[in-house]
Amino acid sequence: MRDNYKGYLFILPAFLMLLVILGFPAVAAVLQSFNLMWVSKPAFTLRAYTALAQDPEFLRSLSNTVLFVVVVVSSHLVIGLGVALLLNMEVRFKWLWRVVAILPWTMPDVIGGLVWRFMFDTLPGIVNSVLLRTGLSAEPVDWLGQPDLAFGAVMLAESWRGYPYAMLILLAGLQSIPRQQYEAAELDGCSAFQKFLFVTVPNLKHMFIIALVLDTIWESRLFGMVFSMTGGGPGYSTQILTLLSYKQYFQFFNVSYGASMAVVLATVLFFISLPYLRMSMRQQL
Amino acid sequence: MRKPTSIWVFIYGALAVMFLYNLTPFFWMVVSSFKTEIEIVNYPATFLPEEFTTAAYEKMWLQEGFILYFKNSLIVSLSTAFLSSLVGIFAGYGFSRFRFKGRLALMTAFLATQMIPGVLLVGPYFKMMTIAGLYDTLFGLILAQTSITLPFSVWMIKGYMDTVPMEIDQAAEVDGASRLQTMFLCIVPLVLPGLVATTIFAFLLSWGDLLWALCLISNPLKQTMTLGITQLVGQFRVYWSEIMAATVIASIIPATLYLVLQRYLVQGFTEAAVKE
Repeated sequence: MRDNYKGYLFILPAFLMLLVILGFPAVAAVLQSFNLMWVSKPAFTLRAYTALAQDPEFLRSLSNTVLFVVVVVSSHLVIGLGVALLLNMEVRFKWLWRVVAILPWTMPDVIGGLVWRFMFDTLPGIVNSVLLRTGLSAEPVDWLGQPDLAFGAVMLAESWRGYPYAMLILLAGLQSIPRQQYEAAELDGCSAFQKFLFVTVPNLKHMFIIALVLDTIWESRLFGMVFSMTGGGPGYSTQILTLLSYKQYFQFFNVSYGASMAVVLATVLFFISLPYLRMSMRQQL
Repeated sequence: MRKPTSIWVFIYGALAVMFLYNLTPFFWMVVSSFKTEIEIVNYPATFLPEEFTTAAYEKMWLQEGFILYFKNSLIVSLSTAFLSSLVGIFAGYGFSRFRFKGRLALMTAFLATQMIPGVLLVGPYFKMMTIAGLYDTLFGLILAQTSITLPFSVWMIKGYMDTVPMEIDQAAEVDGASRLQTMFLCIVPLVLPGLVATTIFAFLLSWGDLLWALCLISNPLKQTMTLGITQLVGQFRVYWSEIMAATVIASIIPATLYLVLQRYLVQGFTEAAVKE
């Protein structure tokens, strides 16, 4: 149509909002990390970044984040694929299984963190109660008080809460596989496992990558769950980058330092999201 | 196709494991919220309340702050959902119906903003709000959350509008309707179910937020639900039964809405990539 220029007008309000509320703060954060904005004497410096490289708390938070994301996202994909395969079958009470399968994801992450914190509570928690009553452990275990156990507990909690997201994406992928391909495979005498390997896997690859990328981004940005479950402790054993950046910025007022951590995180996420962005764009052409 | 019994045993066994895994935390949350203050601190914990009581709910609900948190969360989430859908309708229509220069680049930019971590933005945004005099106001929080939900609302609404044939726009144009009239009177009614889904998603994202409320609100009377509940933990004379009652209340709305909406769930977050 001739009035294509009007498209700009329709997009303008959203564009302006994003520019002011997302674009400007993003640029400001980068400038702050180089000590160029909202300081009495702006002067370009890399001090924040060089300090990062020598800060054991930052390095630990960075490695925590990587380990956390790798473990949690892999578990989401494994559990998610398993449950998606189950829900894709002709089972009875399908709606009930579907509803239950989605439930963990409906819980806001902050709330999930609180519930799991109480589950792992040393004395009145359910985990120690089960261990004691089944005779697996006579002494109550201080789950959230010991660095390695606490980190494991947080990863377990987020594995539980977040997997339905990956599951739903994979389920959509499974449902879009044409039945004829399975029927053809059956005619060729394929076993159930061969059908999975030669029909399901290649068809699901695309959605699997989408689930992988999107879930990685969600989990790298996670904040509320860890904040409410351990607050990063004990020490900084469960601290992830988002939490440390928040603390530096809002609790210790190391503005430039806190910003530099967020910039590092955002840069990594940008590169991770590139394949997804490219894929989405190709579909729009 | 017929499957042997052993396979069915395995399938239903696996479903039962999933059932237990998914529901245990919910079970624990609900059960604990009905325990007395004495039972909730007992070791080892009981699996079902020995003495069933709603005292924790009454105490939470009667606490003056809690109703306020609930109200604030509703105000913020509803406004965020409404605002991001309204602005999203315009942008979604723009992307769906017009072929202008830089369209693809703009759409990519919108999508890319979703990848930015909140911690990068929240610091400078806090500073901006302080300068603008909007720090510690629900309005400032609503603006922030709207921009977080907006890109995804735009993509979702655009996706729904793409399913409406262009002939409808052309027919409306022949009848002399302006673009705005076409959008509101012809296209919006046709994508209404999708629009409702989008609005509810934005509501839920906003409802579950902690980071923005934590950084932009300091007045206890303006705290949202998630923020208010996290601050209860560790306070003197606040028992876990009460916190669990609060988490039950905070979880009911999202759980209900998600379940109502479940068939739109995937579309929402993968709209861009799922389409064939």
